[in-house]
Amino acid sequence: MTAVVALEAITTATRRRRSWTLVVGLVLFGLVLATAIVSLFWLPYDPADTAGSRLEPPSLAHWAGTDRLGRDLATQLMIGARIALAVGIGSVAIGAVIGITLGLVAAFAGRVLDDGVSAFLDILIAFPTLLLAMLIVAAQGASLWSAVLAIGLAMSAIIARLTRILAKRILALDYITASRTSGTGMWGIIWQHLLPNVWPTILVNLALQFGLSVIAEASLSYLGLGAPPPNSSWGRMLKEAEGTVLTAPIGAIAPGIAIVILVLGLNLIADGLRDIGDPLRRVSARAVPAPTTEGPR
Amino acid sequence: MTIYILRRLVVLVVSLVLASIVIFALLRLLPGDPANALLGVGATDAQISAARAQVGSDQSIWQQFGIFLRQLVTFDFGRSFISNLPIGPEITARLVVTLPLTLLSFVLAVIIAVPLGIIAATKSSRWYGATISAASQLGIAIPVFWVGILLISWLALSAHLLPSGGFPRDDWKDPAAALRSLTLPVLTIAIVMSASLLRYVRSATLDVLGSDYLRTFRSLGGSFSGTLVRHGLRNGAVPVIAILGIELATTFLGAVVVESVFTLPGLGSMLVLGISQHDYPAVQGVLFVSTLFVLLVGFGADIAQRLVDPRLRDTVSGNRP
Amino acid sequence: MKQRYLLSGIGIATAIVLAGCSTTAPDSSGGGADSDATITIGSSYEPQNLDNTAGGGQGVSEALNGNVYEGLFTLTDKGEVVNGLASDFTKSDDGLTYTFTLQKDVKFHSGDPLTATDVKYSIDRVRAETSKSSRKSTFDNVKTIATPDDSTVVITLTSKSISLPYNLSYVWIMNDALKDPTTAEDGTGPYKLGTWKRGSSLSLERDADYWGTAAKNKEVVFTYFTDATALNNALLTNAVDIVTSVQSPDAIPQFENNADYKVNDGDSTTKEVLAYNDRVAPFNNVKVRQAISAAIDKKKLLTSVWGDYGTLIGSFVPPTDPWYEDLNSVNAYDPAKATALLADAGYPKGFEFTLDTPDYDPHPIVAEFLKSELAKVGITVTINTITADEWYTKVYQKLDFQATLQEHVNHRDIVFYGNPDFYWGYNNPKVTTLIDQSETSDTTDEQTAKLKEANEIIANDAASGWLYLYPQIVVAASNVTGYPLNGINSQFFAFNITKSA
Repeated sequence: MTAVVALEAITTATRRRRSWTLVVGLVLFGLVLATAIVSLFWLPYDPADTAGSRLEPPSLAHWAGTDRLGRDLATQLMIGARIALAVGIGSVAIGAVIGITLGLVAAFAGRVLDDGVSAFLDILIAFPTLLLAMLIVAAQGASLWSAVLAIGLAMSAIIARLTRILAKRILALDYITASRTSGTGMWGIIWQHLLPNVWPTILVNLALQFGLSVIAEASLSYLGLGAPPPNSSWGRMLKEAEGTVLTAPIGAIAPGIAIVILVLGLNLIADGLRDIGDPLRRVSARAVPAPTTEGPR
Repeated sequence: MTIYILRRLVVLVVSLVLASIVIFALLRLLPGDPANALLGVGATDAQISAARAQVGSDQSIWQQFGIFLRQLVTFDFGRSFISNLPIGPEITARLVVTLPLTLLSFVLAVIIAVPLGIIAATKSSRWYGATISAASQLGIAIPVFWVGILLISWLALSAHLLPSGGFPRDDWKDPAAALRSLTLPVLTIAIVMSASLLRYVRSATLDVLGSDYLRTFRSLGGSFSGTLVRHGLRNGAVPVIAILGIELATTFLGAVVVESVFTLPGLGSMLVLGISQHDYPAVQGVLFVSTLFVLLVGFGADIAQRLVDPRLRDTVSGNRP
Repeated sequence: MKQRYLLSGIGIATAIVLAGCSTTAPDSSGGGADSDATITIGSSYEPQNLDNTAGGGQGVSEALNGNVYEGLFTLTDKGEVVNGLASDFTKSDDGLTYTFTLQKDVKFHSGDPLTATDVKYSIDRVRAETSKSSRKSTFDNVKTIATPDDSTVVITLTSKSISLPYNLSYVWIMNDALKDPTTAEDGTGPYKLGTWKRGSSLSLERDADYWGTAAKNKEVVFTYFTDATALNNALLTNAVDIVTSVQSPDAIPQFENNADYKVNDGDSTTKEVLAYNDRVAPFNNVKVRQAISAAIDKKKLLTSVWGDYGTLIGSFVPPTDPWYEDLNSVNAYDPAKATALLADAGYPKGFEFTLDTPDYDPHPIVAEFLKSELAKVGITVTINTITADEWYTKVYQKLDFQATLQEHVNHRDIVFYGNPDFYWGYNNPKVTTLIDQSETSDTTDEQTAKLKEANEIIANDAASGWLYLYPQIVVAASNVTGYPLNGINSQFFAFNITKSA
């Protein structure tokens, strides 16, 4: 019997730690959000101001030092927060709208359309976000908007598949069938039964995708496919500081830490939300539940 | 089982064909004429049309598609617009870098992640269990290229222990030199990848620990670790195999960034170069081979899951997460 | 990502130094030099293919010019034209017929002997309809090429051309039996092509049967890096011996303060140019262009991009061109004068324009700098970032731009200003005449005088904004000597490089 007690203790401990993770996640995310908001009204320097000497270490005048043109790095970091959030929010919005719509269509549609959409989604998902994004960026030209669009579209495939699976599972439940036979229309079903049940899981995944999109944008910028200068995205700052990692390490470290803070915050929020939304179900970290383990479609 | 494999094969082939069409169409969305890359400032009209004829951009899109399909069937990827060299051999030459990079990183990540994930789950009340979980949270939040930059500055530039990038000219003729070149890239990928793998392993283990049958076994007097190994691993393995499949595929394609950081002459750098030069045959070839790899891994993972878990054997779904 | 287009030059030759064999690189004999060494050269410019008439790019000149292929003449690292495969030549009194005598006993790497028909074939290749050589138009005035015997080539021109030998230094002499020069070679140079591993390296091996002085090293490996940081890191970790041209000053301190490396500051021919579309308002107004020139603190710009490196030249002509003179005092930095000129030109409140900026370094940084400088005199700059590919289509072909930034890499390319149809559309009949006349000069002094005069007019007209001359920084391990320093026309002669153990 002691074993069972021990197991329960483990589970409880885990749960308590998880609500703690939500708090930490919110604090980290709030830090970045606050920075971005402040940057809209106040910046230490004009981002184009090259008055500082080059590659200065951190000082009172330049908290995070200067870059190779003498521009203030703290200023760029603050603008970078704004860009990271814009990319995250933009791509999550695109991913959610397209993904949820597509997922619901597939769930309600007849078998042929459903199979078609699913097969297409499978192929899209077979291309990782970054690769799809590279192609779209190459087609659209490198800009912040291209990056957002690319990441959003890649994300929408993942959200669509998730929505479809969740929706199908709920649609198969007895009470929905009952509700349908009693004359509730499709929109009624979606509104009253589907969305409220599907939403918590989707929300958790959107938070995770938010974090992934920040990393994807940073990687695109690193490859030279992100927003062109003078947009100081964190990924771009890392790329530019890469060559001076030994002589001026702050430039190659600070933006990386900023990325980690934001993404870590988002992941912790996702974990916390999952716990609140559905404390009994533990879906593995990077999101989509494995359909193969759930039997036939 | 045989029927399943056959049907799964059909799905594989259909997906491959669909993917090829998507690749072809996406590339044609790229603005700009691939002929431009061949021209210098000062090109005359005659030079421009000669360049267009060389790359085939003077033909209609349907003609180009016809040529593309014919090449796919024969596994001939055509010649590069830019270098005029055949694409097939170049892909093979670059796979010599990318495949070992992918597989070594994968193996290392699994070696790190599986034991640590199980410890994180079973010892989550101990300080080291909690530390492992926290470290993995941190790991999945780190961009892989940043890990690369930091490792280069520390182990290559400061400590002079390992090369900062590149790959031996004679590939694997000197395996020690090739391995030295791959050490940092492999480490970079494995650090990031093991973090996410670890979390899957941990939650799969937790699921198993919390499951009714395990409690039953244990209340019947089985030893904790014995029960875990005998029954838990088998059940936990199913979702983990699915995830492993995805991770392996992601690593292969994610090599784009890492190859860029370490200037490795692999498929990833070929792709980036090809996109920037509008070298369609090169991009098509790389994407085709990558897709094939991803689909094959998915295929393998599905089969493996069914071998491990007999309950799945009757199902036909070709879906993977 | 970045892709550069070589800007072609209608070259104009000067001093023909009639030295026997070419020696370009600085003194090389170091103590304990190993004649069987392998020299590894790190570069950012991988050839696209192996043919310089088929869009091979800058990298193909770097790796193969003078190393694998030779011309009738050789352009040395100092910018002089010396005899190459031509042992001698005579010019007729009317200046229209050139007779070239070929060096004796020259063999191609395949073993075939060099004959006059190979030379004719090679020149015709550059002139061919389908040739993508940037030098094609320099041979427009060639009427016939005759081969009276195996060692004599006679070129007849329709008009005098003092720079014919210079132009011929760009023509690789290759075996007329070579089938596909984009993937294979058959030249006469001191090296044979070893292996070319696309995306990574290209190796050259010493040709034991070379007709001239054999290369001082056994093998040269060009290793390619798409990323400047990776290139510097390779040098820091001894993976390469030499970096052909460092692209940013940031990495230099780690080599300067280190006895294991030598940093060389040579002369480049690459000019950072703010090119206006001189056809359209307000840039068709000379006062506007002069005002912009006076509004930009170029010294400050150069310092912020290159630190202590680079040169201000005040015109389009770099010091390695024979007609160079320092024109920094023309339209020098003077914001007050800029404001006055603008008012004079009818723009007292300034104006707005869009600057098409290529997306690779240093252009975006330069654009930002110009934006803040010009804002001080009331001119509002909108920066439009474009790719190299878009630059080529939008700016160069369609002339759809107001102003743009571009690096012009070539030697002796002032002649662009003599062509009113060139992308920047500078049209001054006097300059066009001077440049045309310079080509038909009888002596190099006359040619130099005419081009100096033309350049002064161009500078006074502020035809474009010449922001600075790039430095040519070669960084090498200190046990390596004999490498070229100036990188003229992207050449990198490797045959004198030695490495001591």
